Order: sequence, then C-alpha cells, then structure tokens
Amino acid sequence: MEAGDIMAIKEWSKNSLLGIEDLSSDEILFLLDEAQSIKAQKTIDGSITESLRGKRIINLFMEPSTRTRVAFEIAAKSLGADVISIAGEASSLTKGETLKDTAMNVQALGADAIVLRHSSPGSPLFLSKIVNVPIINAGDGAHEHPSQALLDIYTMREKLGNLNGKKITILGDILFSRVARSNLWGLLKLGAEVTLAGPSTLVPKEFEKLGARVTHDPNEALQGADAVMLLRIQHERQQASHFPSLSEYANVFGLGRSTFNQMKNNAIILHPGPLNRGVEIESELADSNRAVILEQVSNGIAVRMAILQLCINCGEIRR
Amino acid sequence: MKGKALCNFDLIGGRLVDPCSGIDRVKDLFVREGIIYSSIPAGKPAEQTFNIKEHIILPGLLDLRVHNRVPGDTQSETVQSLTQAAAKGGFSSILAMPNTTPHSDNPGTIRYIQDRIKQASKIKVHLTGCLTIGSNGKALAPLGSLKEAGVVAVTDCPHSVRDNQIFTNALKYAKMFGLKIIEYPQDPSLSEDGQAHESSLSLKMGLTGNPRMAEELAVQRAITLSRHLKVPIHISSISSFGSVNLVKEAKRLGVKISTDVSAHHLLLTEEAISEYKTQAKTTPPLREEIDRLALIGGLKDGTIDSCNSSHEPYAEHLKQVEFDLAPSGAIGLETALMTVVEALGENDPFPKIAEKMSTNPHQILGLPPPSIKEGNIADFVVINPAKKWTYNTDTGMSLSSNSPLGGHKFIGKAILTVSSGKIAWCEDSILID
Repeated sequence: MEAGDIMAIKEWSKNSLLGIEDLSSDEILFLLDEAQSIKAQKTIDGSITESLRGKRIINLFMEPSTRTRVAFEIAAKSLGADVISIAGEASSLTKGETLKDTAMNVQALGADAIVLRHSSPGSPLFLSKIVNVPIINAGDGAHEHPSQALLDIYTMREKLGNLNGKKITILGDILFSRVARSNLWGLLKLGAEVTLAGPSTLVPKEFEKLGARVTHDPNEALQGADAVMLLRIQHERQQASHFPSLSEYANVFGLGRSTFNQMKNNAIILHPGPLNRGVEIESELADSNRAVILEQVSNGIAVRMAILQLCINCGEIRR
Repeated sequence: MKGKALCNFDLIGGRLVDPCSGIDRVKDLFVREGIIYSSIPAGKPAEQTFNIKEHIILPGLLDLRVHNRVPGDTQSETVQSLTQAAAKGGFSSILAMPNTTPHSDNPGTIRYIQDRIKQASKIKVHLTGCLTIGSNGKALAPLGSLKEAGVVAVTDCPHSVRDNQIFTNALKYAKMFGLKIIEYPQDPSLSEDGQAHESSLSLKMGLTGNPRMAEELAVQRAITLSRHLKVPIHISSISSFGSVNLVKEAKRLGVKISTDVSAHHLLLTEEAISEYKTQAKTTPPLREEIDRLALIGGLKDGTIDSCNSSHEPYAEHLKQVEFDLAPSGAIGLETALMTVVEALGENDPFPKIAEKMSTNPHQILGLPPPSIKEGNIADFVVINPAKKWTYNTDTGMSLSSNSPLGGHKFIGKAILTVSSGKIAWCEDSILID
C-alpha cells in the first residue's frame, strides 16, 4: 500500500459504485480530483501507476454497449489490470442461467471486480448482495449510469469551474434515461440548478419532487443556461409511442442555433452519445467549438480509472 | 399440533363475537362430532378442553383471494401447504383464483383440483373458474360447464379483460348461470409493463410505473357495466384512493358492486420496495400513504366490504432475480388477519373483523355466513389478542417465503381454527394451557 492509498481511504470508503444517489458531495469531488490527477499525470509524462496490476476485472455487459465497455476496458488496462469482457448474448444467461448464478461463477473464477451493464434497474445492488467483490454499475436500466454522470460532471467542471449555482439543462428523453437520473443527483449535490426539459410524455412533472425544475418549453429551459446536456431519443426503450416522429421531435425539441443562442455566451453542449445528428442537435452545432462531446469521451477514461482504482483498492483493504 | 382431526372439545371462557346471531359476550362452547352445543351434551365426553379466557371466538373466516399453484407449480405451494397456511392464519375457507397451469378454464382441471383438495385439505376451498379461456381475454370460457363442475365465481384475476365487448358478453353470459363475477381492476394497456406504483419513487428507481389511473379506469368500467347490465360485480383488491371514492359514489347510487382490499395494502406503502425488494412487489403494487389511509377509511365506513390475503406464493429462486424480472405477488395467508387488526388500530377491532372477514365475504359469494350457534357445524377461529409474535417466513406453513412482512412483530394470533366441524389448526401453546 502506498501513501496515496492511505489518503484515499480517508475520503473514499466504498468498494462498489452502485449509483450517484449514494455518494456524498465530498465523495464525488474526491473522485473527480483523483481523475484529474490521473489525467494530469498522463498529459505531463504519459506515465501512470499500474495500481491494479494482477487484478482481474470482469466486464459483464448484458446489454449492448460500445463506448462504456471500451472505456472501462481501456481504463482497467491502463491501470495494469487483466480485463475479460462477457457480453450477454455470449454468456450462460442465454442458456437460462440466472444473473445470480452467473455472478457467483464469475466470483469463483477469481474476479477482483465486476463491471455490470444490465437492463434491469437495481441489478448492481442485487449483485452486490450476492457476491463479495466490488460491483461497478455501468448502467442499470433507467436507474443510474454513475460513471457517465461523473465524466459529464468532470467535463462541466473543467469548462465551467465550480458548479455551485450553475444552470444546467438536460433536454430529451428523461423518463427512460439513467444518464439523466445520475446527473441529476450529482449536479444537485454539487449545488447546480437542474432543469429537465423535453416532451411531457418523456419528462414527468414528478421529477420536481426529486429536486429538478421541469419544463416542456425548450426556450424557457435554455434561457441563461451554462450547459445543456442533450439525451438521445432511445427507440429501444420506447415501447409505447411517446412522440409523433423524429422529425417532429427535431422540429420542436432539437437544439438549433436560435435556441442555443439563448444560453450564456460561454455555454457548452454535452451529449452522452450515441448522437443522432439532425434529431437532438443540428449537425453543425455538434461540430462547433461549444460542443464538448469528444472531450467527454476522453475524460471518461480518467474518470473510470479513478473509479476502478478507488473501489478495488478500498475493497482490497477491507477484505 | 398440526391439524389433528379432533371434533369433540370444549372451549371455556372465550368471548364470542358473532354478528350473524347478534352475540357478543363470554360464552362456553361445546363441540361434539363437529356440532356446536351451548351446554355439555349428556353422555358425550370431550377429548380436549381448551381454557380460552380472554380469547376471542369469531365465525369462520373466508379469504376471497388466494392463488392456488396446483396444478402447475408445486415448488411454490401444494394444496396441503396452502391450506395449512390458511388454517394457521385463522381462515376456515378460502377462494382459489383460477391462474393455475393449465388454467382453470375447463371442468377437467376443476375436477383435478377438487380431488387434490379432498385428499389434502382440512379447510374448505371454494374454486373460481376463468372468465375467458386461458384468462387471455379473447374468448369466453365454458362458464356453464364450470358452474356445473362446482366453481362459485368466475374471474381472470390477476388479469383483467382488455376488450370491452368480450367483458360485456362475459358478464351477460355469467349472469345467466348466477355465477359471481370477480374483477381484478387493471387497464392492461396502462399497467401491464408496470413494475411499481407510478410515483416519484418509481421514477427515481427507474421502474416502469403502474399508475392509479390503470386501476380506476377498470373500477369505473365495472361500475358502469354493473349499472347498465344489472349484474353484481365484486371488484377485488382495490389499491388507490380514487378507487375508494368511485366505489363509495357507486354504492351511494345503488350500483350492485362490492369490493375488497389486500391486507398488505392496509399496512404497507411503496416504501417497502426500496432497495428493490422483490418480496414487496405485489399485485396490485403497494402505493402511497394517501392510498393506505383511504383504504382503511373505506374499510371502516363500509365502502370496502372485505379484506383478502392476496396470497401469491413463489418459490424462493423465482423471487431471487432482478426486480423487473421477478413475478408480482406476495404470500399473506399467515399474516392477513393480524395485519388487518393492526391496520384498523381500534381498541376492539373484532366485531369489524367478523363482518369484513367472515360475514361479508360469504355473502359476496352467495354462501350462508357461518354462525356460531347451537346445532350448527362448528366453523370458527379462536384468537389470542395479546399474544406477541414475530413473523418468520422460514417457519411458516407456506412452501414460499415471499412476504414483505418477514420479521414484522404482531400482537394477537389465531390459535385455533375449526373448519366444517374439525380442528384444522391448533397452536401448541393452547394445549399447554
């Protein structure tokens, strides 16, 4: 154990990352600072501590994912860990095995951590009660996507500084979005004012009870905002018709130059991807210097390295 | 002692609460060959005398919603475990829902279940048949043949017929046979993907909501059709405060409907599912405090006629899965009676319990309510209102343990259940006394 680890234990006591709702603002900031120092070190001399050398991380992805899975893989490998990725369609779950049994087998195979992507809300919590290794939630249904929110918040802090009092608007399909929920918790904990906006069928008023402002008027939502996070319209989650058509959505809720101009001068545009050009956002805006979409992706590596390092080392010390 | 078929015994010093015969006083009872006597019959000695001072005797309780798993899923419950759980919970009769595998939509399945009951049950099990084939809402089940086979009511519980035309015809057709119709009120187009009560909690947890509207639309449909077709309908397991108001107004206008509530909904709210506890995933979903209070109010003011256990057993492994993949339903037979007592929160809840859990459910099914008087067949429950106990699902009679009330501390317990003249359940403690 190195000196840095002892510091970390004082501030970080979780061996799993199940959601942002469970984190304190201090824990969020501590993790983001950790990510920042990883990123800085990488930029200065390209070197990083292989603090997870010899550790075996299993990526259990029961739902399709490209960027999250790859980002976790790169993060783990950068820290010297061995990574094995299991996709849902290639696992025994297709043979009728339950998630409980799959996870117990993965643990028996010597996993030091499981990174779980699953369509069922609450599945990381469920797993954490069954197995005795750190569980990192890489997205559970419409519940949480903590690593995405942390990289979003990291990027916002990098561009906007302290988020206390900043006006952040999340626009799009909020109802089915785990990204929106995780960002809502994180941003509120850091003192930001969060507005959720989009069609009334996808942005229920009940979100106000969770601390957000809700509006169905995109102009009102973006007026004076410091940042807008656009969410993809998720066809695969919408079993019922929640809006008439993609073109209608683009027309009413898509981010165009005129609506963007209502935001603050230095306002930024975020998108967790994958991007639907011409639907959530005009293509030209997505390529503008106000869009930080690719920086989000790059920051995702450092943030996920921080997550893996803190959770696995903390779990290791506890065990 | 688990269900020794004893039918000659004396009960000394208990308080008899029997609304049917207008009795509420301390009275000794003597049972010989299953028949009630009010004084010791000459030449017929008792095999056992129970000293039940400060205990309550209520007429036999009937549970209007129990999900039987035979045939189809004996891992979750057998007829024996189901009926022992009922007897232990104080019920001398239950009404079994038709969602067996195969469905109870044909006389053959009904006869098979009746045979199993004859072999394994110490209490009365009344059967329902499906309203539509396979309870899929598409074609009428052979209601006349089901009646002939012995069902006392028809229902698609825990589903509701989606198509209004088919539901209307089912009501008209069932009326012809005098079959009671039980509607489990859910508009499936709004509720079938619902994993939890639609609220800020379900939003937070990322669970698809089952809105109150889904239930209230179906309650309103039942009221409207009952009024137009002049068919009495029993609406099962209402859970929303809006449903209480709809039923209250309909009853005021003289519509022939009755309703009941699941005991869990009188004590618990949606908070019970936090941390994705599948044991608290019920049908209908647990809702909010405003609903719980309205349901208790409705029970007290007569809007709600009865309380059920909505006993839905699922073997442990079926519930130990992701929340959205877990089946909906909780067991309740062993806790329903004392859950209702606790929820009523009255100094003397027992006259109301007798009305809501014995008299009314029998009347709803068109069955004579059991009355505890000389010459009648003994059918009653003895309750120790002061007995403190903690519900442990592992020591229950049900084969399943999917209860949201595991670890709950109760005050009061059924200690002797007598069904059709025979002791179906007797707590060991009463024998020591």
